[in-house]
Amino acid sequence: MSTHIAPAPGSSTIELALKIWRYDAETGEKELKRYEVEAPDWVTLLDVLDIVKDQQDGTLAYRKSCRMMICGSCGMRMDGAAVLACKTRMYDIAKSGHEPVISPMGNLPVLKDLVVDMNPFWGKVRAVKPWLDPGYDEVAEKERIVSQQQMNVIHKEALCIMCGCCVSECNSMESDPEFLGPAALAKGMRFVGDVRDEDDVERLNTYNEEHGIWDCTRCYFCNERCPKGVDPRDAIAKLGAESIKQGIDHDMGAKHAKWFVRSAMTTGWLRETELVPKTQGVISAIKQTKFALGLAKRGKVPPPFPPHVAERVGEARALYNLVKEQGREGALGIVQGEHALGRIEFTEEAGARENAPEIQPGVEPPPAEG
Amino acid sequence: MEAKHDVLIVGAGCAGMRAAIEAFDAGADVALLSKIHPVRSHSGAAEGGINAALGNASEDDPETHAFDTVKGSDYLGDQDAIQILCDEAPGDVYQLEHWGAVFSRTEDGRIAQRPFGAAGAPRTAYAADITGHVLVHVLYEQVMKREIPAYEEYFAWKLVMNDDRCQGVIAWDLLKGGLKSIGAKTVILATGGAGRLYVGTTNAYSCTGDGMALALDVGVPLKDMEMMQFHPTTLAPTGVLITEGCRGEGAYLLNSENDRFLKRYAPNAMELASRDVISRAEQTEIDEGRGVDGNVLLDLRHLGPDRILERLHGTRELSMTFAGVDPIYEPIPVRPGAHYHMGGVDTDVWGLTNVEGLYAAGECACVSVHGANRLGGNALMETITYGKRAGRHAAEWALANTTVEVPPSTEADAQRELKQLLARTQGERPWKIRDELAQTMHENFGVFRREDQMDRQGEIVAALRERFERVVVEDKGHVFNNDLTQALELGFLLELAQCMVVAGIARKESRGAHARPSDFPDRDDEHYMKHTLVMLDDDGRPELEWRDVTVTKWQPQERKY
Repeated sequence: MSTHIAPAPGSSTIELALKIWRYDAETGEKELKRYEVEAPDWVTLLDVLDIVKDQQDGTLAYRKSCRMMICGSCGMRMDGAAVLACKTRMYDIAKSGHEPVISPMGNLPVLKDLVVDMNPFWGKVRAVKPWLDPGYDEVAEKERIVSQQQMNVIHKEALCIMCGCCVSECNSMESDPEFLGPAALAKGMRFVGDVRDEDDVERLNTYNEEHGIWDCTRCYFCNERCPKGVDPRDAIAKLGAESIKQGIDHDMGAKHAKWFVRSAMTTGWLRETELVPKTQGVISAIKQTKFALGLAKRGKVPPPFPPHVAERVGEARALYNLVKEQGREGALGIVQGEHALGRIEFTEEAGARENAPEIQPGVEPPPAEG
Repeated sequence: MEAKHDVLIVGAGCAGMRAAIEAFDAGADVALLSKIHPVRSHSGAAEGGINAALGNASEDDPETHAFDTVKGSDYLGDQDAIQILCDEAPGDVYQLEHWGAVFSRTEDGRIAQRPFGAAGAPRTAYAADITGHVLVHVLYEQVMKREIPAYEEYFAWKLVMNDDRCQGVIAWDLLKGGLKSIGAKTVILATGGAGRLYVGTTNAYSCTGDGMALALDVGVPLKDMEMMQFHPTTLAPTGVLITEGCRGEGAYLLNSENDRFLKRYAPNAMELASRDVISRAEQTEIDEGRGVDGNVLLDLRHLGPDRILERLHGTRELSMTFAGVDPIYEPIPVRPGAHYHMGGVDTDVWGLTNVEGLYAAGECACVSVHGANRLGGNALMETITYGKRAGRHAAEWALANTTVEVPPSTEADAQRELKQLLARTQGERPWKIRDELAQTMHENFGVFRREDQMDRQGEIVAALRERFERVVVEDKGHVFNNDLTQALELGFLLELAQCMVVAGIARKESRGAHARPSDFPDRDDEHYMKHTLVMLDDDGRPELEWRDVTVTKWQPQERKY
C-alpha cells in the first residue's frame, strides 16, 4: 500500500518557448533571452520559470513562495501586463505557438531579472496609517458586535495580497512617482470602510493631499490587472465619495467632481466654461482666459449665457435624487457588497471547464488614456 | 556584528509576528528576520480557521476543546500544553478581533464559527476561507504600527552559540548579498513547516524546515518528527490545499462508485472525522481501485452557489485555476497531501528549548499540542497562543540579562564554509537531489508506512546526503542569489528527512499520522505512548531517545469517530 503520485488526469507534455528580460544590477547589463522547455500540460508560468532555473540557468532570479495565489510574491509582467506567475496557466499559449515576453513589474526599481525593489511600495503602504485605530488600547472581554453586512463593505479591500500588480500598471504613478497608488489607497479604504475604525476624517484628510486620491487618472488598469478582484480603482472612488460626504473638498479633484454633479443636476449637461473657475478658482481661471478664447474662436465652447438646459434634465435630477437617497446602500453599496470572486461567471452552459489563461497571447496593453 | 537586539525572531508568519508584538509590548528591543517579506509567509495560506471555545455557534468550553485535541492527537499530545492552548485561545482570538481581523460574523454580529473535523462543537472561527491571510495581514499591520524592524529577505543559516547560550543568527542577505551576523540575547525560531520534503504538499516553496535544522545543529532535540500530517483534500498534481472548511460547510467525499465511502471508516463523524482517519480512508479507496485517476471526489454541489460564493470563494478560485473545475457544477478531485508537521523543535510550554536563549513557536516547534495528529483549526491557534508565550518569556529573560557577543571565530567559520561552497564549479546542481528526495519520501514515508520501505528510505536519504556534499551552486553573484539559498534549504531538508526516518522506524505501532497497517496495525500505549527525540551525535549521526507523554486528566481510550 504505497502512496503514489498519479499524473494529472489526461496529463501530457507541451513544448513552449518564452523570452525573459534578464538584468544584472551588478554590471547593469540587460538582455532579452529566449528559452525552450518541455513541461507537463498543467504548468503555470511559475512552473516554467522553475524548469528554466533548474535545468538551464541557475542564475535566473524571481520571487516565489506559496504557488497558490495568496502570498503575493510572484508578480511580474507577461507581454507587458502584470500577472501572478503562479496563476497563469501556459497550455493555451503553448498551443498557439506564441512566445510570451516576461519582464519585471513596472513602476518599481529592478534589482535582478524579475526581482524588483518593493521598498517604495511598502513606504506608500506605511504612509496611509495601515492599522486599525479603534480609539482605545485595552481589549474588551469579548469581540465587538459587527454585522456581516458591515464587514462586507471592506470584503474586496481585505482580499488584497500586496503583490504590487496594480502598482506595476498604474499610469498615474508612471507620471508622478510619489502618487500613493492603488494598493496603498485600497488599504486605506480597508480602514475607512471599517466601522470599528475611529479615524476616518484624519485618514481622509491625509489621502486628500497632493499625490493622493485625486491624482488617480481613472485608467482602470489596476482593476483590470488585479489578480484577486480587489478593484483598487473602486476603492479610490469610494474614498472620494466618502471625502466629499465628510466635507473634505479642498482638493481641485474634489471640486471638479462636485461641479460635475452640480452641473448635471441643474442643467442636465456639463457646462465646461464654468468648470475651470469652479475647480481651480477665479484667479487661476483668468490666467487661462487666452486658452479659453482660443477654444471659443474654434467653436469648441458654447456661449456661457444664457445657460443651456437639456431637454430631459428631469432624468438627470431623478438619478441624482436616487443616488442621494440610497447613500451607502445604493451606488456605493453595489460596489461594496459585491463578492469579488463571485464575478467569475457561472452559467449552466459554462458550467464546466474554464482553462482560458488570464492574458491572451500577444495582446499588448492598450496605451494609457489622458 | 551588524546589530544587537533583545529578541530576534527568525520567521515572520503568524507565530513570529505574534511573538514580536508581545515582546515589543513587554518593552524589549525586537527585530524580525525572514527569508521572505512577512506577508508572504505561508501562514497566509491557512484557509479554514482558528479554534477557540467562544461558544458563538453552540455551547462550548475550553475543557471540551482540550479533550477533542487530546483525543485527536491520538494521546501523544502533552495534556498540560493542550490545556494552556485551549484556556488562552478565546482571549487571544478576541485580541485579534480588536486589532481589526476581518472575521466572518454570525447573525447577531459575533465571530462566526463552523464545525471542523473531530471537534465536539462548531469551534472554528473563520474569515470566509482566507482566515490565515486575514491574520497575517492584521498581525503585519500591528508590526507596522509598532515600527518593529524587520530584516526582510535575510536567510538564516547558522545560530550563534557562545557561552552555552544562543546569542544570535548568521544570515545571508538576499537583496545585497553577503553574510551578516546579528546578535541577540534571545532567538525565537518561527520558520514553519517542512512540507517541501514531499512532492505532493500544500506547503509553499519556503517551507523547508529551516528552524528545525538550525536547532538540531546546536544540539536541540527534534520531537516526534515521524508525525507528518497528510491533509485529505489537496489538488492534483502539486498538492494545492482545498480547505477542511468545505467539509465543515457540508461537502461530501465520494469514490468512483459515487459512494460516501467514509461510512465504512468513520460512520458517525463521516466527512468530519479526523484528518489522519480520512486520509487513510481515501488512500485505501484509491489503492483498492475505487479512485478516479488517483483521486477521490469532493462534492460541494448541494451547498448551492450562494453558500459557495460567500464562504468558499477562495476554494472556487483555486479549483478553477488549478484543476479546471468549478465546484458549483462539478466535484473537485482531491487526494491526501503532506500538510503539517506535528513534530519539530522540542520546547517547554513557554517555547524554550534546552539551549538557554533559544525558543521556538508555531509549526517549527513541538510543544507538543498536536501529538500524532493535529485537528484542523488548531495550528493557527497554536501560532498565536504559543507565539505570544514565547515572545513574552524571551522578552522577560532578555530584559533581565545583558551581554551579547558573536565570537569572530563563528563568523569566520561561516564565511569559510560559504566560500568553499561557492568555489565549487564541477558537479551536480541541487534540483535533482531535491526532486528525488521529495518523490521517495512520498513513496516510502507517506500515508502508510512499512518497515522495509522506511529502511530503504534511510538508505536513499544517506545516498542523497552524500551527493549533496558535492553540490554546485551555479549563481556566484551577490544580488538575489536564491540559487545559493535553495541549495542551503536542501541541506536542511536532508537533515530532517534523516531524523524522520529514524523516528519512524523506531515507533513500532500505528498512532495518528504514523500508520503501519502491515506490521503494527494497532496503537501500543504500553510501549509507545512516548515522544521520540532525535539529536545528532558528534559525527552528525542521529541518536534516538524517548520521553513520556504528560498526562493530566485524560487516560488513553480507543479512538473512534
